[in-house]
Amino acid sequence: MEDQLLSLKKNALDELESIKDKKDLEAFRIKYLGKKGKVTSILKGLGDLPSDKKPIIGKLANQIKSELSEEMDNAENRIRANKMKIDQTLDITLPGRRALRGHLHPINLVNREICDILVRMGYRIVKGPNVEFDYYNFEALNFPKDHPARDMQDTFYVSDKVVLRTHTSPMQVRVMEQKRPPVAIIAPGKVYRSDSDVSHTPMFHQVEGLLVDKGITFGDLKGTLTSFVHQMFGPRTALRFRPSFFPFTEPSAEVDIQCVMCHGKGCRTCSNSGWLEILGAGMVDPAVYGFVNYDPEIYSGFAFGVGIERTAMLKYGIDDIQLFFRNDMRFLRQF
Amino acid sequence: MRLSLNWLKEYVNIDVSADELSRLLTMAGLEVEEVTPVGQDVRMVIVAKILAVDKHPEADRLFVCRMDNGRDEVPVVCGAPNLRPGDMVPLALPGAVLPNKMKVKESRIRGELSSGMLLAEDELCLTDDHSGIMILPDNLEPGTELSSAMTIDDYAFDISLTPNRPDCASVIGIAREIAAVTGQKIRIPEIEYKEEGPPITDLAKVDVKDGSGCPRYAAGMIQDVVLGPSPFWMRYRLFVSNVRAINNIVDISNYVLLETGQPLHTFDYDQIKDHRIIVSRAKNHESFTTLDGQERTLNDEHLMICDGERPVALAGIMGGINSEISDNSKNILIESAFFNPVTIRRGSKALGLQTEASYHFERGVDIEGVIYALKRALMLSYQLSEGKINKGIIDIYPEPYTPPVIDLRIEKTNKFLGTSITGDKMVSYLRSLEMKVSDPENGRIQVIPPTYRVDIEREVDLMEEIARLEGYDNIEITYPPVRPSEEKELPSLTLKNRICEILTGLGFSEIITYSFISPESIDKLGVEEDSSPIRSIVTLKNPLTIEQSIMRTSLLPGMLRVIRENTARGEMDLKLFEWGKIFINKGSDQDLPIEKLSLIGAMTGLYQEKTWYNDARTVDFYDIKASVEVILEALSLKNVIFERTEPGPVLHALESCTIKIDNTNIGTLGKVNPKVIKGYDIKTDSILIFELDVDEILENTAGYSAKFEQFAKFPAVLRDLSIIIDRNIDSSPIIDIIKKSGGDLVESVNIFDLYEGEKLGSSKKAVSFRVCYRSKDGTLEGNQVNKIHERVIEKVRAETGGTLSEG
Repeated sequence: MEDQLLSLKKNALDELESIKDKKDLEAFRIKYLGKKGKVTSILKGLGDLPSDKKPIIGKLANQIKSELSEEMDNAENRIRANKMKIDQTLDITLPGRRALRGHLHPINLVNREICDILVRMGYRIVKGPNVEFDYYNFEALNFPKDHPARDMQDTFYVSDKVVLRTHTSPMQVRVMEQKRPPVAIIAPGKVYRSDSDVSHTPMFHQVEGLLVDKGITFGDLKGTLTSFVHQMFGPRTALRFRPSFFPFTEPSAEVDIQCVMCHGKGCRTCSNSGWLEILGAGMVDPAVYGFVNYDPEIYSGFAFGVGIERTAMLKYGIDDIQLFFRNDMRFLRQF
Repeated sequence: MRLSLNWLKEYVNIDVSADELSRLLTMAGLEVEEVTPVGQDVRMVIVAKILAVDKHPEADRLFVCRMDNGRDEVPVVCGAPNLRPGDMVPLALPGAVLPNKMKVKESRIRGELSSGMLLAEDELCLTDDHSGIMILPDNLEPGTELSSAMTIDDYAFDISLTPNRPDCASVIGIAREIAAVTGQKIRIPEIEYKEEGPPITDLAKVDVKDGSGCPRYAAGMIQDVVLGPSPFWMRYRLFVSNVRAINNIVDISNYVLLETGQPLHTFDYDQIKDHRIIVSRAKNHESFTTLDGQERTLNDEHLMICDGERPVALAGIMGGINSEISDNSKNILIESAFFNPVTIRRGSKALGLQTEASYHFERGVDIEGVIYALKRALMLSYQLSEGKINKGIIDIYPEPYTPPVIDLRIEKTNKFLGTSITGDKMVSYLRSLEMKVSDPENGRIQVIPPTYRVDIEREVDLMEEIARLEGYDNIEITYPPVRPSEEKELPSLTLKNRICEILTGLGFSEIITYSFISPESIDKLGVEEDSSPIRSIVTLKNPLTIEQSIMRTSLLPGMLRVIRENTARGEMDLKLFEWGKIFINKGSDQDLPIEKLSLIGAMTGLYQEKTWYNDARTVDFYDIKASVEVILEALSLKNVIFERTEPGPVLHALESCTIKIDNTNIGTLGKVNPKVIKGYDIKTDSILIFELDVDEILENTAGYSAKFEQFAKFPAVLRDLSIIIDRNIDSSPIIDIIKKSGGDLVESVNIFDLYEGEKLGSSKKAVSFRVCYRSKDGTLEGNQVNKIHERVIEKVRAETGGTLSEG
């Protein structure tokens, strides 16, 4: 009899463990502890037992009854907790409810980056007209009329006196006309050249910089642009300065950086030279000071210009300049 | 400029590799764009001797040559017209791959065995000549490799020149630079020729009537020339420099131009009337036929070379057809002159005619090099044309050039460059450039630049030369003192950055379009009045295409174009914006137009695609309006009014409005007129846009900064009001009524419900307002608010003619 009871308990506990919901738990209760349940029946049948067994079996049966009740409470808690887990679990992998994000044009992004670097270096941003007098675009920058230097920049004309600016350099003159040194400005903006082919668009963007003060040297120009290139393209970017010509600077320099695609080994982007032209620069030519009444015996300074499209192409690995102005969503979405 | 490295080596020792030379030149300011090997890929091509030439038995135009290849006699089939027994010619052996990638095989040509191929110069990519087989010098040994026998191992250097260095537009000029940067000496060919026959002064007269246009004019003569092809070496060098070979006389003048940078012109002496040369200006509208056969109309700025009767050349630009060298020319007059750069440039620009000669003259040739070039041409003519050089030359040069004497301050130079170069070092740099330089004295050096250095006039020009020879890379890096700007950032930039943030946050993507557009794209907007700003157009004089011929007066055409192109690619759901300038003509093309900053935003297609949490919804008026509201609110603009106004042809008559601050228009928003969408050929039903006048916004935000306000101390009381009114009554005036009738206690009014539906019929709508009452002075009592609210309700009902709803 005792063995029977113990095996009943064991079976009941095993059964209880596999119960997953409330309904089955109720059936279990009825099966063992209900009015006609197995444990209840044993207790009811105590009277038929020999009296020496009565207390022992009765005690054991009561013990089992309370133990099962307790285990049932535990099971109930377990089931409830389980159910809560299922009912309230979020699919955290579903995409969030989102407002769609817009994208800034890569020209704007790179322009900001360039300007931010230079503003941190003490330059102030200035803006000027896109449609510009020949005087500011050429003459006061020491491109005399009838000079071959004018062929360096294919120009759109509005009239013989008015052009679309071919560079943002006119701002040099406009600022120096208004202000005495020290002058430290950058002029970002659109520029125009009547040139359109695979690698040219008739409109593009430039940032021009100008620093004029007492005692500014060519070494300062090198330091400034080296720092700029390192901030823009990474501190280990190699660069070189080589002589060039711009009518409004002397000495003039072109700044090449080591090709960011092939790291100087030579590839299609750098025409196998290992170098990429990235900036034009130079010490301000005294002839320009003549137009703004600065005394070149007292002041010196430098100017530089960087193309935004070119910088953006190198930064993002864009191989076609035309993409910037097609405004294809498949392009814009990538920035 | 493209030139042969082997040619350069005639003037200067070069003991560095082609790559190193390329680097040295680039770092000295002569940017080498490309170095191309020439003649180096000629392998398995040997010198062979023609032993006999027999007719091909089966083909009229072919020959079978018996060739001596140094070891055997081999047959080669060839069709060239110049096959002569005894000549040395190049033979490509079977297995050879020619520079033009052609593979040579042993084959039978119409039955006859051909053990290789005889080559013309163009097949070796040495010149463009294909008139016959290349004839080699007789003294070569059959069987030797052509490349070693002819030393055709060469490189073509392609050098990009800056306009300030015309002296480098010549082989000697570049050789001089190489000499300076490598510390070598330059070797200029010495002039040597025999003169015979009458002196030139007996045969020709030169009269320079325009001394400012032509400061120097020289001429020399050759009689009884025999015209014919130039020797291979000359044709090869011309070919590498992309100059077509014509005949010995013409080739010599082109060769000397390449060599010295001095353009020459050759006249057929017998076509020069009266044997007189007169240099003078053309008459206005005079016509003249240049040797390219074009008839050209001149003006009085054009400098002409005339004979006794008529013009015979456009000075410094191009000769005339009436005096050019022809197959019958016997006696040649060679002109070497210095023409005024500005005169030549103007003349060339006026005609749209740029030539090699005008390129050199407008940049400035060496006035002291005129005679050397002339004599060099005479010398080559003597060697190559069997002609007789007449005695002497003519040289009209009334005012000899005096080069500038420039003082260079040593300390000033170092202070300017940030260097510490000694005076002696500076002297040696400048001397290596063939400048006449005094020894340093009192910290100064006196310098006379060579006459070909037309770019050197001032002290700073010398500083540049010193920096160049020191090497830019050897100048130490320093940093200028940092001076922080004391001025605020430009308000327009601050505003732009703020608006970019807001718009991208709202899902708009930025576009950048060209500032020039087509006139048609403005016409398609349907604005008729010529006086409207949108029709006050700045037109380009020389646009690339009509599509880019006027400056935009609105950002809309560019935006519509981008929408058209994207929707055509299947991108139907777009939210785009552009920030940019528009250009309004002030009425004169001599003055600058007004440049106004403008902002445009546009939406089309779905506001959002179908997602797991939302249904798809098409954009409408309230989406675009919200964008503007968010922008203006973020900028803390007060008193913004959206006003129903006559929208003009661009916007939809019923779904558009004007945006105002007080009484100033700051922009418009609404649906684009379907006619405009159709005119632009955009395949979409509706586009919503806003356009804002950034300058006005700047004016209204100037000096503004947020000001902190104390939080309300006392609780608010909310009361609702729902009213059924005619559908055509606007809701925002009702808010004004509430505020006015509710007085100071009304803190805010929101529209929290709008019902338009069957229950009310099509002409009515129900609008529900929630009014927030609050006092600054104390807690409001319910009764007090109820009284006010009732007054408000009554007022609204009276003024709108509406009925209260159960809401």
